[in-house]
Amino acid sequence: MNSFLRTIPFTWKNLVRRPLRTGLTVAGIAVATFLFSFVESMRDGVSKATEAGAAETRLVVYRKNRFCPFASQLPQSYQRSILSIEGVKSAVPIKIVVNNCRASLDVVTFRGVPDEGYLQEHIAKAQLRSGSISDWQSRGDAVLIGAALADRRRLRAGDRFDAAGVRSWVAGVFESDDAQDRNVAYAHLGFLQETAQRGGTGGIVTQFNVEVEDPAKMEAVAAAIDEAFAHDQYPTTTRPESAFVARAARDVIVLVRFASIVGWASLAAVFALIANAIALAVRDRIRDHAILQTLGWTGADIAWMVVMEASMLGATGGAIGAIGAHAAIALTHLNFTMEGVSIEVTASNAATLAGVLLATLLGAVAGVVPALSAARREIVQGFRTT
Amino acid sequence: MSTIECRNLRKDYRRGEEVIHTLQDVDLDIHGGSFVALMGPSGSGKTTLLNLLAGIDRPTGGTITIGGRDIGTLGRNALAAWRSANVGYIFQLYNLVPVLTAYENVEMPLLLHPLSNKERHQRVTEALELVGLADRYLHYPRQLSGGQEQRVAIARAIVTRPSMILADEPTGDLDRTSAMQVMDLLVRLNKERNQAIVMVTHDPSTAARAGRIVHLEKGKIIDAAEFAHATRTTTIGAHQ
Repeated sequence: MNSFLRTIPFTWKNLVRRPLRTGLTVAGIAVATFLFSFVESMRDGVSKATEAGAAETRLVVYRKNRFCPFASQLPQSYQRSILSIEGVKSAVPIKIVVNNCRASLDVVTFRGVPDEGYLQEHIAKAQLRSGSISDWQSRGDAVLIGAALADRRRLRAGDRFDAAGVRSWVAGVFESDDAQDRNVAYAHLGFLQETAQRGGTGGIVTQFNVEVEDPAKMEAVAAAIDEAFAHDQYPTTTRPESAFVARAARDVIVLVRFASIVGWASLAAVFALIANAIALAVRDRIRDHAILQTLGWTGADIAWMVVMEASMLGATGGAIGAIGAHAAIALTHLNFTMEGVSIEVTASNAATLAGVLLATLLGAVAGVVPALSAARREIVQGFRTT
Repeated sequence: MSTIECRNLRKDYRRGEEVIHTLQDVDLDIHGGSFVALMGPSGSGKTTLLNLLAGIDRPTGGTITIGGRDIGTLGRNALAAWRSANVGYIFQLYNLVPVLTAYENVEMPLLLHPLSNKERHQRVTEALELVGLADRYLHYPRQLSGGQEQRVAIARAIVTRPSMILADEPTGDLDRTSAMQVMDLLVRLNKERNQAIVMVTHDPSTAARAGRIVHLEKGKIIDAAEFAHATRTTTIGAHQ
């Protein structure tokens, strides 16, 4: 064990004193790990947004067979009927206006909500980064903007904000744990109904967000809501919010699944890259290994050095790639928005750690065969080969 | 000091169907502290014998007993440990590790010994001072001349204070001046430290610096008269 530890400085010198070879190999590993960690962060974002938690209590009531906020029109008067259904705790009419209904990386989503109640309760959970809710209440064209949207569009309290045909004034910016909130601009419902001029004006909303009293009764309440309006002019489809997001984001989910395959394939590239680099290094160092064995190092010591070198390459490239992906995601605030719902690509610690660990592990595995071949080679044969 | 005893030592190599008898029934005794030169034409088995004495190759038959221990019976790891403790090997082409400095090359064999950092540093410095390269300790092999590289290799061979130094044509790749310096160094080590030295050489003037010359011809040890005859015959044959 002691001699194993004493090989570490030698292995490190072998890496740093061959900067071109090491640099190129590490760069390749870093790029592949960057891709893997990035894709895993995307997958993480999709999972968080679309997988239902045990405590989920929110339903989204949408117009039946409509998939875009422009097309989903429901009378605001449904609110009273929904509230009268057993198990419903609250029902908030929401008007949604987007500048692009299809999947895009920079969609601006306005959510018109009632002047009283909803936002005060909702934003209380989050933290206001700047501005205030009273500012929002005091101006008809005011919007409260989620932090991710504000960062993406570089908006601060007091700025004018013009998008999707809505000209508004930023009353504040707020932080939130909810990806849907971080990427929207909350406006006054009446203001948005009048300003958007799409799909009718006053009295028409896009959806209702319904809170149920008991998470176990989500399905029953959803069925009751849809049943209540089944024979109306505006029939509804009601789903838990996560299912609603999953349906809206189905294209992105398929895309991310495909990207996930690419991510894992990039790890295979890491393996191939390290295996190739180490196999070549071992071939180049047959004489060095023979010298070391002549000096008294054992075959096991040589094998250990080779495996460690491969692991160090994997760990270094993996760390650069994974941390690079983490930083890139954190800085760019990427999110996919489609049909008014957002899926955020958040910098995932798990994906970063997985990238580093897997690259290191793959490095170690890639080094095993060259290590065994180096360890088994006879000393004299080593001198003759070169 | 170790005494080296070779009895009926044989080494065969296979090349396809053909078996090459590189060493045939070699009997040799080398006393501790002596300086022996192995001479002979190319292919006579000098380097093979040296490799067997160093424990980096295994005999096909016979025994090698060094310091009362039959090294042919040692397993790979035990043989490596034995080499580390008892053998200092000097190669014709120096064989320094290119990514390590002179200091680090000399330090390499000591990493296997239970020494503190201070002791290790002391030993490396001493060895480099002994070969006159204390001021070049930070130089990489590519920054040294052939003679300097060989002196670093000698420092690496002696740093563990082995009981014997085995040198395979240590001056074969050097100019006359550097060769002289290296030989002076080996003679000094043999006298001052009483370390046994077995040196392979083609050069009679280099061999003359040793206390004893052993002649090899076609894998067998022959006496000096036979050797002179064989060399003359070979030379005449070569001129014809």
